[in-house]
This record gives sequence, structure tokens and C-alpha cells, in this order.
Amino acid sequence: MSKNKVDINIKPFGFLDLLEFKKLIPGRKNRIAGASAEPINETPPVNALANRLHPDYQYLSVSEIIENTEKAKTYRLIPDKNSGTFDLAQFRPGQYLSFTFNIEDTVVTRPYSISSSPKEALSDFYEITIEKTNGGYVSNHIFNNWQIGTEVKCSDPQGHFYYEKLRDSKKVIGLAGGCGITPFKSIAKSIIDGTSDIELTLFYGSNTINDIIFHKELDELAKESEGKIKIIHVLSEEKAEDFENGFLTCDLIKKYVNPKDTTVFICGPQVMYKFLHKELQALNLRRKFIRWETFGEIKDINQAEEYPRGKTKENYQIIVHMGGNKQSITASAKESVLVAMERAGMNPPSICRSGSCGFCRSLLIKGDVYITDTDDGRRLADKEYGYIHPCSSFPLSDLEIIVPRAR
Amino acid sequence: MVGGCTTDRIIKGGMIMSQNILAKEYDAVVIGAGNGGLTAAATLAGKGLKTLLLEQHNLPGGFATSFVRGRFEFEPSLHEISDFGPSEDKGNLRALLEDRIGIDTEWIRVPEAYRLVIPNEIGGRLDINVPFGVEEYIGKIEEYVPGSSHSVRRFVYLCGEVVDALNYIAESKGNADKKVLTDKYSNFLKTAPYSLQQVLDSLKMPYLAQKIVTAYWCYLGMGTKGMSFTLFAAMLYKYITKGAYLPKHRSHGYTCALDMKIRELGGHIEYNTKAEKILVENGQVVGVETSQGDKIKTNHVVSNASPHLVYNQLIYPKTEVPDMAYKTCNARKVGFSAFVVYLGLDKTFEELGLNEYGYFVYSIPDTNDIYDDFSVLSRPMGQATICLNNAIPDCSPPGTSIMSFTTLYRGECWADVKPEDYFDLKSKLADDMIDEFEKALNVNIRDSIEEIEIATPSTFAHYTKAFNGSVYGYEPGPWDSILPRLMCMNDENYIEGLQFSGGFAVRCHGYSSSLMSGEMAALLTYKRFLEVNKE
Repeated sequence: MSKNKVDINIKPFGFLDLLEFKKLIPGRKNRIAGASAEPINETPPVNALANRLHPDYQYLSVSEIIENTEKAKTYRLIPDKNSGTFDLAQFRPGQYLSFTFNIEDTVVTRPYSISSSPKEALSDFYEITIEKTNGGYVSNHIFNNWQIGTEVKCSDPQGHFYYEKLRDSKKVIGLAGGCGITPFKSIAKSIIDGTSDIELTLFYGSNTINDIIFHKELDELAKESEGKIKIIHVLSEEKAEDFENGFLTCDLIKKYVNPKDTTVFICGPQVMYKFLHKELQALNLRRKFIRWETFGEIKDINQAEEYPRGKTKENYQIIVHMGGNKQSITASAKESVLVAMERAGMNPPSICRSGSCGFCRSLLIKGDVYITDTDDGRRLADKEYGYIHPCSSFPLSDLEIIVPRAR
Repeated sequence: MVGGCTTDRIIKGGMIMSQNILAKEYDAVVIGAGNGGLTAAATLAGKGLKTLLLEQHNLPGGFATSFVRGRFEFEPSLHEISDFGPSEDKGNLRALLEDRIGIDTEWIRVPEAYRLVIPNEIGGRLDINVPFGVEEYIGKIEEYVPGSSHSVRRFVYLCGEVVDALNYIAESKGNADKKVLTDKYSNFLKTAPYSLQQVLDSLKMPYLAQKIVTAYWCYLGMGTKGMSFTLFAAMLYKYITKGAYLPKHRSHGYTCALDMKIRELGGHIEYNTKAEKILVENGQVVGVETSQGDKIKTNHVVSNASPHLVYNQLIYPKTEVPDMAYKTCNARKVGFSAFVVYLGLDKTFEELGLNEYGYFVYSIPDTNDIYDDFSVLSRPMGQATICLNNAIPDCSPPGTSIMSFTTLYRGECWADVKPEDYFDLKSKLADDMIDEFEKALNVNIRDSIEEIEIATPSTFAHYTKAFNGSVYGYEPGPWDSILPRLMCMNDENYIEGLQFSGGFAVRCHGYSSSLMSGEMAALLTYKRFLEVNKE
């Protein structure tokens, strides 16, 4: 390049520029010598803000337990100041918290949507609402062990299941099934307290009247909302006056609301997702207008349509490298690699348990796993280089993986 | 769903794992798997040193990463990489990654240099699409600003001399011959003490041409009056002559490849593991302690965390930090953080009417006013906006496209944001940025938003722990630009066994500089390692 030599003077004569150059380093040294020698001891303000919005963990204690139905309870949680949590992290209505449990020498996590509103977090409480199901290991643990004063540990608010002004229609349709009502309770409350400026038509499917969680509260919120919240209860196993009967169908939605240019939010059990995937096609909505909460953990991969059923062994061995250690564990083929590690008493990282957040991201160095399309939230390069999300990966052979330690 | 159901049963099996303890001794520990940390660890492992790379997050890259929302995978911070070049005319960075480290990743050439739009420019709207290539670049500006080619050509040649001089200094490995510098690279020396604006003025470049050639200023985060000419010159020249490149699979593509290469070379990587203390005794690094309770013996640390974090938070005990280290930090100014809006759109770039990859949209004409404006928490006055599909057509599913809108903020102006106001503020500023862009380009973007994510200084601070969320290193004014940093490197090395890489290091910030800095820090560490072990 120097073939195209030009000659430049900034000051009138070139030697003045060279003189200026000679002053460059002494000038730097003077600046440094003249600066303060005080260390910066406090956390820089933006890092402090980040820590308040995204604490690594929040330590809470149970302050109140409300029985919603025979099977559902709401736990009010307040900051456990003795353990170092002074303020609750703010969240967007619809987000969840991932709780860590120590049960019989195993460490497991579970995500639970927050059912209270952001304004209530400002007055120092979150609520989560849990439904007990047959054989539910963690829900049983909670029902049997959480009492007023019980200390619990959870993540910062997580997930992307929330209204976003720039993306969504102000007219929102909510489709909730069973305990999938919890994020909508938070959204409804935030409409009342002015946090969310939307209109919500909520279709809520329950088995029977007695199974409706927040029945009274929701009806009161609707009344208070001056028309911004409408609630349509749908019962699948009972017929009653003023209640719809059956499932959440396209026709039912159209009976109450014109779905054109509305955003549909869906949270409920996996069977409901499978049903609605087909049903919602008839509404002809752009993809942007359909917002699914994550599918949730797949308890038995044999239920997945494409899974090579009957072609796998019952159990596989997994060699897990973690923090420089190596351990061989047994994994059931029908359960995720994450669950296998938890059963083995290890403490792998996890948050969403649905393949999407990537918090459990691990390197597969030997063997094959099965991942369903719907739960494969991996990055392109991770697919290329063999990184997996153990929470949505199921062993098809013996495996060897490198897993980061939980934070 | 998340909701509130739990239905599974967990039965305990296997054995309780014993406490995790990493190997207790390493030849070198690299702190942070950002750009510089990755190339440092790969270089050290390649030299056969027993190397440990610690990263507090659960994946490599720092800012050089990706994230998935719905059916889109976004590029969080990279706009385009300089000094890369095509494979037949490799720039320094391609040579480092492909030849010296040996990763094999697919890279895509960015189609044009940039489209610059200044709707309220003095004398009327400025709107120009500038190509790569020296003659094409000069020719296009001449077409737009008749009579500018002489001064623009002189400017470009001058930039070329800066690049040649820096290459000479790099090749001489610290033994640059003063005579060679004064004979061959006198303009390099003569311009080193000056700002970009001072050099432009001396060239008598027409006003509008100045506006066009300085469009990249925001990539270095200083207005033309504050920024070192040397650094801007090097960047501009590398872009024009070698083009700009992007990793096909977002930055996570090459950072993942570097992760795999480090492992292949025998290096060890620990994610979710934050270096909490750098142990120092009598001015010498002796070890590192982590958030996982690991206590590691080592005499060599390459820190991709900034001097601000290292001296103020990591060195232990604090009495080992000399006053000069604090003074050096406090004399310098930590660069900007960023605010980015990421959109996944359910229309193609043709349908949206966006035919370029990169747009600089400046709402007010003077770069120095925009620079000042970035210190105020208000409607952003400048943005660098990307439509990724114009470089990588298949980066999103058919019928869709990906955009990102980036502006800068001084971290401190987010200091008083209350958590309860944070989400609304994010949303408002994102709306402002999209609005500015739509008005400047006369397009409609907002009706096609399928996915949106918004990153603020707090987001960058959260994921990388960078000081006040800064995405840039120290501000490169003339006194703290690459040349004075190089010349003072030894004098400002305050702890034996500690080297810095990344955007805060000697080469200043930017992807290319950060990646190159890691190799440099590793080679200096390797040299010291050999000396110590000979003793």
C-alpha cells in the first residue's frame, strides 16, 4: 500500500507533528500520574441493576398457604432476608420461577409460573399455585413439607410467555387448561392494577366446577375490569348452567370473540397442546399471533409420535464428566438425560426443562440421543458440534457427556 | 407448559457424586471465554501448556454468541468482522483463526460497506450506499460529492499507511526500528497524536464527504473530535480493502468451533465457573479461586475480564494492587454499553423493502452531538441497523427475516432506572428506534414483528458481568489508542504473570482486535512461561 505515499501535515510544518508525537507518551504518563489512586469498591450501578433484575438465586420463605381447590394450593413467598434476599426480582406477568428442591439426597428443579402480579412483587411477595397430581413427586413433596416459614430457593424470573406491546395485538385471547391458569391470573391482575394495557378474553378449561382454580378471584377480576377481562369457563366432565361444556375449540372461541388480529396465549397440559395445535389451524392466524408457553418436560418419550418405539433398550449407561470428575450412571431410555442425572444424585444445571432455555447445555461426546422437533431449542452451531440440552434429550445408546456444574 | 403441574416421580439411583474438584494446578488459567479469552486459550493449549479456561456463563463467546426465540436465531452484538478478507487474500484475523488456530467455520462476505442515512443533514437528506473496494469507494463518494475524490483518496492512502505501519510493528514483535518508522511511516507517527476530525480538517475534505467517510465512527464509540485517527484509519482501511465478514451460524458458530478446538488441543473448559479471586503474592500471580470453590495453582493468568474488574474486584489480597494500577484505570474512560432491539419478522427483506445489509441512521448530523447524546437516557439519536438476510439469505426460515437495531448508551445513565420501570423503558426505547428507522427509510417494520427481544446495558452486564455492561473497552482517544497502549505495555504491566486480552486490552475494542488480542496475550504469557521454567 505504501506505494501510494502521501504526505500530510496537521500542523503547518511536519516537524511540529513529530514534536506532538514525542509528547504522546509523556502526556499519557502525566494523565495516569494525575489520576486518583482510589479503588472502586461499590458494585458499578448497571451491574447492580442487573443483579436486582437477575439475581443468580432468590431465597424466599413461605408466608401464607391458601387452599384453592381440593388439589390446588397457592403459596405466598416473601424474601428470606436472613439468606440474603432483600427485594424480589421484578417480572413480566406470565413469567415463571425455577425452584430447586433437595429431596432424599437428590437435587431437582421445577418451573412454576408466578400467579401474583408484578405490583405485588413490589410489595414483597410472589405467589405460585401448585396442583397435586397422582404420583407427582415434587408436588407431593411441596404439599407434605412446605409450611409457613419453610425456606425455599428459586431462580430469577424466566421465560418469554408474556404480552409484548410491539409484537402482540392489544386484544388477547387466553387459552388455559387446569393449572395452566396461573400465568393468566398474573396477567389478569396486571390489567386491573394498570401494568398491562390489554383486553383479555380467557377460555379456561377445567374438569368440573370444583376443579376451577381461582374461580371466585377470576370472576371478581372480570367484574372489576370494566369489560377488559372476560372469562369463559369450559368444563370437560360436568354440565352446568353458565358454563360451556367440552374442550377449547375453534368454534367455541369464535362464539365469543372475533379472532382476527388477536394474539392467542396458550398454557396448559401437553394433551391440550396437541389438541390445540390442530384446532388452532382453523383460525388461520399468522404464526406471530399464537404464543405457546413451553411444552414442559416429556415424562415418557414413548409417547412422542416419531420416537423409535420398541427399538431401544430399557436402560443405558451414561458416563458424565462434571467439574473434572467422571461418573457412570444408569438412565432409563424413556426419561431425559437430565432426569437420569438427577436420579443419580448429581446436581446438573436446569431451568425450563423443556429444551428451550439452554441452561443445561452439555456436550455429547459419545452415543446418540433422541430429541423431539418441538423441544429442540438448540442453537445451529450446537447442533453442528454435538451440544445437547439434556432436559429434552433421550438416550438411544450408551452415552458420554460433559456437563457444567450448576452455578 | 410451565403452569403449576408436576406429574413425574423421581427415584433415587446411582451414587452420590463426590465433590467436584478441578485439577489443582495449571500452567495457565484464562479468565473469560469471550473473543480474546477463546483465542488466548486456544493459543496456549496449542503451545502445549496445561490450560484452563474459566467462564461464568454456560456457553462460550461473551458478546460473541447467539440466542433463539421461536424460529429465529439472533446475532447479539456482531455487525461485521474486519481484517478477515477472502481466503485468497487473508486478513490477519482469518490467518489467525484458520491457519494458526485451525478452526473450520463458514464465513459469509457482507455485500456492501454501508448505507448511510442522515435525514436532517445540513443542506438536506444524505442517503448513500457505499461499496467496498478502494476505487469503488472513492468513486461512489465522488459521484455523491463532486470534487471530493482528491481528498478522499489522500485520506484512504493515509489509512493504508497506518495499517502498514501497524503490521510492521506487529511483525517486529516489540522491536520496531525507529528509523524505519520515521522513514517509511512518518505520516503514521505524525497523525498518531490527533483526532479523526483534526486529520480530516487538514485534508480539507468537503463536509459531506467527511460525513460519508466517518460513518463507521459508532463501531469505535467516539465522536470524530474525540477518537484517535490511528484506530479509525486502521478499521476503515481494512473494511474497504478486505471487505467485511460474518459467521454463517452467528457468532456462536465460530466461538463453538474455538471451544471444540481448545478441547482438542488438550485445554480444559469450565462453564458456570466464575473466577472470583486472582491470588497474588509479592507481585506475582500464584493462583485463582472460583465461584465453585476450586482453588487452582497457577503462575500465569490471561484475563479477558477488564483491568477495571481485575484490579477493583479480583486481585487478592487488595494490598497487592499497586496505586499505579488504580491510577491507570481511573485515568481512562470505560466505553459505551449498547441497547439492541432484535426482530424476527414474518416478511422477507424484499417485502419489507430493505435491500441492504447494514444501515447507519443518524438523526442529527454531528457525530460529536450523537456521542454526547448517548450519555443521556432519551430517544436514541443514532443507530446501526442490520437486515441479516441480505448477507445470509437463509439465516431465517423462508418468508421471514431477521433485523437488529443497535444504539449506544453510557452505562451510567441507566444507573437510576428502577426495576419496576425497566420493562416499560425498554419497550419505549425500542419503539423509538424502530420509529426512527421507519421514518428515515420510509418502510413499515412494526406490523411484521413475530419475535422481539430487547437487550439493554443491564442485559449485557447480566450475561457477561462487564463493567457497567460496557460492550466497548476504554475509549480510544489519541492518548489511549493502540500506539500509546503498545508503547506503554511493559510499563503498565503491574502484576507478574497477568496479561489482558479482549476489548480493554492493547489492541482496543472490536471483534477483530479482541480476537487478535487473545493470541498476543497468550504469546506473551508463553514467553514468560518459558523464561520462568528455564530459571
